[in-house]
Amino acid sequence: MAASLKGLLQPWTPRVLTVRWSRYNPYYLEPEVKKEAYLKSESELSIEEKNEWDLRKHRPIKAAANNVTSSVFYDPIISKFINMIMKCGKKTLAQQIMTQTLESIKRQQVEKYLKAPGGQKEEIECNPYAIFHQAVENCKPCVGLANIKRGSITYQVPIPLKDRHRTYMALKWFITECKRDKNRRTLMHESLTEQFMQAYTKEGKVYKRKLDMHKLAEANRAYAHFRWC
Amino acid sequence: MALHRLSLRLRPTATHVRSFYTSRVGQQQNTVAAEPETEPFSVFRTKEDDPAFHSEKHIGQYYNVPSSHIQTLFHHGLPWRYKQQVETFNEASFMVRQPALEVISDLKQLDPSKPVQRYIFYGLKGSGKTISMCHTLHYCYTQGWLVLHIPDAHIWVKNCKELLPSSYKSSRFDQPFEAAEWLHKFKITNERFLSKIKTKHRYIWTKREVTEEGRPLGELVDQGTTRVRSSSDVIGALMKELRLQSGQPGSDFKLVAAVDGVNALWGRTTLKKRDSSIVDLEELTLIYNLRKLMRNDWIGGAVITTLSQTGSLFTPISAYWPQDMLGEIGFDSMDPFIPISVPNYSEKEFESCYLYYLDRNWLQHPQSRTEEGKKEILFLCNRNPWTMEKMCCVL
Repeated sequence: MAASLKGLLQPWTPRVLTVRWSRYNPYYLEPEVKKEAYLKSESELSIEEKNEWDLRKHRPIKAAANNVTSSVFYDPIISKFINMIMKCGKKTLAQQIMTQTLESIKRQQVEKYLKAPGGQKEEIECNPYAIFHQAVENCKPCVGLANIKRGSITYQVPIPLKDRHRTYMALKWFITECKRDKNRRTLMHESLTEQFMQAYTKEGKVYKRKLDMHKLAEANRAYAHFRWC
Repeated sequence: MALHRLSLRLRPTATHVRSFYTSRVGQQQNTVAAEPETEPFSVFRTKEDDPAFHSEKHIGQYYNVPSSHIQTLFHHGLPWRYKQQVETFNEASFMVRQPALEVISDLKQLDPSKPVQRYIFYGLKGSGKTISMCHTLHYCYTQGWLVLHIPDAHIWVKNCKELLPSSYKSSRFDQPFEAAEWLHKFKITNERFLSKIKTKHRYIWTKREVTEEGRPLGELVDQGTTRVRSSSDVIGALMKELRLQSGQPGSDFKLVAAVDGVNALWGRTTLKKRDSSIVDLEELTLIYNLRKLMRNDWIGGAVITTLSQTGSLFTPISAYWPQDMLGEIGFDSMDPFIPISVPNYSEKEFESCYLYYLDRNWLQHPQSRTEEGKKEILFLCNRNPWTMEKMCCVL
């Protein structure tokens, strides 16, 4: 019994090393950081949740990452976005850019809201987080393209994407579009604000890029069967 | 009909009662019944827009500063982030706080024949020193005083594009552009006094340019804004004139000299002469003249100053006491002064600020409007106004 457990908890490396890999044994479970999960009483849990909690009592748990907090304002997508903006490990700069972006979105919208006449106030969305999430949602592609080689030709084959990858693509496009084709003097947070505001209303470069991806997938529909043969 | 007459009778008492902070449910109902056409009762705002009538019962409440005053008096006096807030919220509101009220009550009992009293606002970073000073200046402005406001003394000791050797004293240096800019803003603030006050001395600027005795002050200021070369000396002359004339039997104005970041006058500079040696503070005309103004050898006004670590040169981040910020020489020059501590928000003031942000639709994160979120904001900002403002910008 002790010998088998010891074997399970050994530090572990996968057979095929990918670019980013964890030294944690797959036996370890992800930590639960949200306070609400611990405040629920026994009676409120469904059967699956109860089983999950029972499992967590007997399994080792990974240490929480540094950027994960139990704050009520923590958002994993925003955290991911900050990591993607980050270069050379400069997390404070990336964090600053994100806060400046959210602040300038909010300032624009609140200014509009407070100056608008009473009837139009409800239409103006002031929450920068809502705008951010809606913009990302609007720019997520439904299908992606994979490079599949048949004979000596590489075909762009439309494939379904996992939700995580779709979010990743949308966030990546925001960053690349803001870096490209911009005036030397424009700050990152200014161009990010502009892109988020445009994507919220389904306009702008990032939304166009998603539509281009869809068009390309539609054009290459004929090769979709390459996925399986 | 009888109810209408009753409401008319109740009206004066209701207005008087309205600005108390503590929630009084019975009286609240009375107020609402008496004035159905006005806005709902708000705990964090007061209708009293005149700083002369602010008292302890208004502490923690926001009052609205008219936009005309913002354009004239606070043309250059407000902190950058506060200016952005004014634009976003479409209104300028100051919170009535204890430190400003202390100075205002002192100024109300001012004896114009006694030497000037010097007040120094000190406190931690972001605790509200500049805004307290602005509140006090608003009182002085509404009472018809002449406001000589230097919004940031640190600007004059660093990053100067051009240092000219002074024509008046060979060992001194002029800063023409900074001086001209400040004179232009002084003109906007004190337009009404420029024609009333007359010069008492004759000033020779160059062979052909002279300001005679008895000319209006406006001419002196125009001399500085048009002939940029002599603008630093014009500021010196202006300060001298105002110092000599304020509180005198002939003149009918009181002068308030307000300097934000007064510790810059006794610190160090980063300006360099042509031979790359550091300029001493005594060698700068503007600083020399400002130091003379800070002395208490004139009458009929007040000197209101703030210590500021942000923007200061060679002061440690943790320093905020007057002794540390002013240094020995500065402290001895400013002594005797009245130090006024500006602490972080009290619980009441924090609540007020939170409600104000809610009212202006500034707290947008759904969690920030819950009890949990409010507790978290309180914990993270420790009731420091600056930190709270920075946090609430993102939420």
